[in-house]
Amino acid sequence: MSLSARRRPAVDEETKRPRWRGVVSPGMAVAIPVLVFLVAVHVYSNELLLVDMAIYIALAQGINIIYGFTGYLPFGYFGFFGVGAYVAGYGIVHLGLSGPLAALLGGLGGVVVGAVMLPLFRLKGAYFALTTLAVGEALYAIVSNPSLTSVTNGPYGLNLAAVYSSGWSFGMAVGLAAISILAVVLIKNSRYGMTLRAIRDDPYSASMAGINVARDRFYAWLIAAAIAGVGGAIYGWAISVFYPQDVFDVTVSVFAIVFALFGGIGTIWGPTLGAAVLYAVYNVVGVSNPQYFQLIYGLVIVLLVLFAPRGLAGIARYLHEHRPFVRSST
Amino acid sequence: MLFEFAVIGGILLGIYYALFAMGLNVVFGAQRIINLAHGDIVVLGGYAAWELYETAHVSPIIAAVVVLPFAIALGFLVHRYLTPRLTRSSDPETLSLILFFGLSQVIEAAASLIFGPNEHSLPTSALPVSSLHLFGESYPGIWWVAVLVSIPMLAVFLWLLYRTPFGLRVRAVMSSASEAATAGIESRLVSGLFFGIGFGLAAAAGTMGIFIFGGIAPTDGVALTITAFAIIVFGSLGNPVGTVIAALIFGVVTQLAQVYAPSWSNLVPYALVILTMLLRPQGLLGRRQRVA
Amino acid sequence: MAAAASMVLAACGSSSSSTTSSTSSAPSDITIGTAYSGSGSYATSSLPELDGLKFWITQENKKGGVYVGAYKKRIPVKLVAYNDLSSASTAATLYNQLITQDKVNILVADFGSVLTAPAVSLAEAHKMVLFDQTGTGIPFFTPSNKYIVLCDLPESDIWPDPLAQFLIAKNVKRVAIIYATNDFDQSQAITLKSKLEAGGITPVVYEGVPTSTTSYTTILQSIEAQHPDAILELGYQPNDTAFLQNVESAGLHPKMTFTVFPGQLLSLFQSQVGTAGLKYTYTYGTNLYVNYPNVTEGLTTSAFKTQFAAAYPGQLNALSLMGYNTGLVVEGALKNAKSLSQSAIRAGAEALSGKMTTVDGKFVLNSEGAQTGELLPVAQLFPSSAGVTLHAVYPASQATASAVYPAP
Repeated sequence: MSLSARRRPAVDEETKRPRWRGVVSPGMAVAIPVLVFLVAVHVYSNELLLVDMAIYIALAQGINIIYGFTGYLPFGYFGFFGVGAYVAGYGIVHLGLSGPLAALLGGLGGVVVGAVMLPLFRLKGAYFALTTLAVGEALYAIVSNPSLTSVTNGPYGLNLAAVYSSGWSFGMAVGLAAISILAVVLIKNSRYGMTLRAIRDDPYSASMAGINVARDRFYAWLIAAAIAGVGGAIYGWAISVFYPQDVFDVTVSVFAIVFALFGGIGTIWGPTLGAAVLYAVYNVVGVSNPQYFQLIYGLVIVLLVLFAPRGLAGIARYLHEHRPFVRSST
Repeated sequence: MLFEFAVIGGILLGIYYALFAMGLNVVFGAQRIINLAHGDIVVLGGYAAWELYETAHVSPIIAAVVVLPFAIALGFLVHRYLTPRLTRSSDPETLSLILFFGLSQVIEAAASLIFGPNEHSLPTSALPVSSLHLFGESYPGIWWVAVLVSIPMLAVFLWLLYRTPFGLRVRAVMSSASEAATAGIESRLVSGLFFGIGFGLAAAAGTMGIFIFGGIAPTDGVALTITAFAIIVFGSLGNPVGTVIAALIFGVVTQLAQVYAPSWSNLVPYALVILTMLLRPQGLLGRRQRVA
Repeated sequence: MAAAASMVLAACGSSSSSTTSSTSSAPSDITIGTAYSGSGSYATSSLPELDGLKFWITQENKKGGVYVGAYKKRIPVKLVAYNDLSSASTAATLYNQLITQDKVNILVADFGSVLTAPAVSLAEAHKMVLFDQTGTGIPFFTPSNKYIVLCDLPESDIWPDPLAQFLIAKNVKRVAIIYATNDFDQSQAITLKSKLEAGGITPVVYEGVPTSTTSYTTILQSIEAQHPDAILELGYQPNDTAFLQNVESAGLHPKMTFTVFPGQLLSLFQSQVGTAGLKYTYTYGTNLYVNYPNVTEGLTTSAFKTQFAAAYPGQLNALSLMGYNTGLVVEGALKNAKSLSQSAIRAGAEALSGKMTTVDGKFVLNSEGAQTGELLPVAQLFPSSAGVTLHAVYPASQATASAVYPAP
């Protein structure tokens, strides 16, 4: 991947600040991935794979927003993805919407489901994670139900070939990735981001300090839900034929969480890099030898949790902080 | 008539589900961890039954006992080497979930590397009985066999927990590890063994699961874990008797759904989780505790 | 299992092929791109199909390549095969990879309707001919889509024709139909139901279950309450295995039990279900059990069986035969095509219709690209020394034994 020109931990002589902080400013966090995608599509013509990668970057950032900033881990994140794909598909098939408009409708679908799931925030850690998983699976069982064939086309899936457009869906996917990264940049550098972290670290003190814990957490949740909804919508549109099990797939959650965790939760670049690197690896190794890939990422998860819970970003920071005398290699 | 079939069949399956879900509750009791690899341990038990039958013609009923020491040892090792680092971390609860999720992926991958990715099933002739009749309905022999395996296992487990010195120690450690330690109980050893027993019950359930679930495949783990989770939260976390009652109710409800609304029957475990968590997060038999 | 993903079988390792259609110089090789399921519920059917295709490629490359009519010479064949893990969405990305990145000359679909579906729309959008092997779902074949050729099986709605006639002929009054809810099985179920109703039989049970179903015990109990004479289960291989096991374990003895896949994967069913559960059940017979001594393309039935079994020991079944037949259809299309453009290849395949007979029977293509030849007889499994043996029992023209009804 041409993302290798990212950070070279080194100290700028004049400012005494790490040089990469200046180079990779928040704006660059959005601009560089977009540029890479725009160049890549001219070099590599399977745009569908790039669409997938862009969507996974967005999903990993969505996980970053909800888990990284609030500590709530939604295993059922794929539920929003599936709902987005289906709502958009419904809009295309029954309302005659164009692809981009349907994608936005898919995002709205994600937001509505997210709002309905609000009561789950009463639950803590593992209970929240597993209950959202049950919600995702329940949504799958409902959408794919043969009894509802007249509404959702049940298990027979949707065919959106009529509005197939590789260029548009690619553009939308890259746009979604950019917006998701931008959302993280804005949240991280704002009062709202500080609020969220305060809530995550100590909800009681936060509420004592006058923070509306439930409301602020809810906004983060809805943003994450909207990202997954739009992502699912674009995905369904891009592959043009899909079945319920393709979009209500727990693998979507798994990948998004692993990518975010691998790159580094709570950072701006981590999920982008995690998704780009691991998804690329997945397509080189994983598709041909899925068992080995699964074995490797299973081990990666175990090792990350045990030894590097902050992911690549944490490792980079550790190296940076513990090797101050290393000169820039240029 | 179909109603009777659903209720009796549901009770038979419910007894099996009690064994199937118990291991998850045991692991929770030992370490306050939701073992996301539970379903995968069940699957491994199924593979063990398959391998033993295909290579050595060992009856799956015997396999249910054979797998116990191996699974207990595996659980003990996991407890010894993986969990201590977690308890020192910032967010042990969520991290443990992710850790065991990683473990589940490793097991799934290893299972597909060893046994291949396809579904494995055993012919029903691997078990010694054919269908049995009761009140004019015939029930598959595999359900009866699963019940006849599950009841002694559950009985021994409950006897161990409530009627032996070891069980006393386990319960002491479960209620408070630090107090138990001061009372001279090697709490790490005790909870490690108990943790291992959780894995053992899961694997034993798997040897019957290869019949009950109509074959097993490496990717079945996640769905099995959710089903087991549904049962133990419904019955109350950490309460073995609650798990048995919840499993019976779950079995009957699932069977009724399969008879009267088959297309909706897949929804039962998920609906159970969601409703329990929203309406009574402490579960059927639970006192108010820290889940919400 | 050797899980090589991007398997490349090339007689001479040459560089990338150019697909520009009407250039004067011939490409150095003909690339065939396909997806297969290395794991998941379709693997047991997809892998033998891929073996059949690979066998055909090896055969052609031994002769110096496949004969391309546009250049009047043999050109080596190269296979690019990706593993879609039985997932339709993964398959979509892979088909797109084959079309846009690998720029293959010939696009071949994976097994079955579910995994063929994404290829149909992508192929049409990119104006590539899709050599559809076994994706027989009705929605694929429309007058507007000129980019599909169904190679190895008839369209789904033709399949149940002999079965419906058989039931009507045997005067089976109480029929229960249970089908897995996917394009392939649903298409058949709908056709079967309407044909039976036209013959005066109203099914007493007509119910769809998820394709992921692996336990039929309770559903069978509901069905049994209707006292059917015949229980017909239309599914994929894992469904059929579970269904037959559950029929046996529940101790049911209907007069007739029918499932789709034993005829295609008999040895697998023999090991998973066993003789007791299989004997006297019905299935679709396939061309593996029919002898074609006179063929216009490829090997005769007996030559194919011996040579394939030597190359892929233990892998011979109806699906590997179909994979081989896909190769023969490609071979015929390339022989007839005036150029390597996709429309010429499609025209080349169309020209085969009615003129080609292979190990898979007579190839007949309708105007929508669907197969109407290669009819599947109703077959019954008879106990024998080797377990069970398949014999076609209906229609009389194809029958090699007479049906034992009701089952003893």
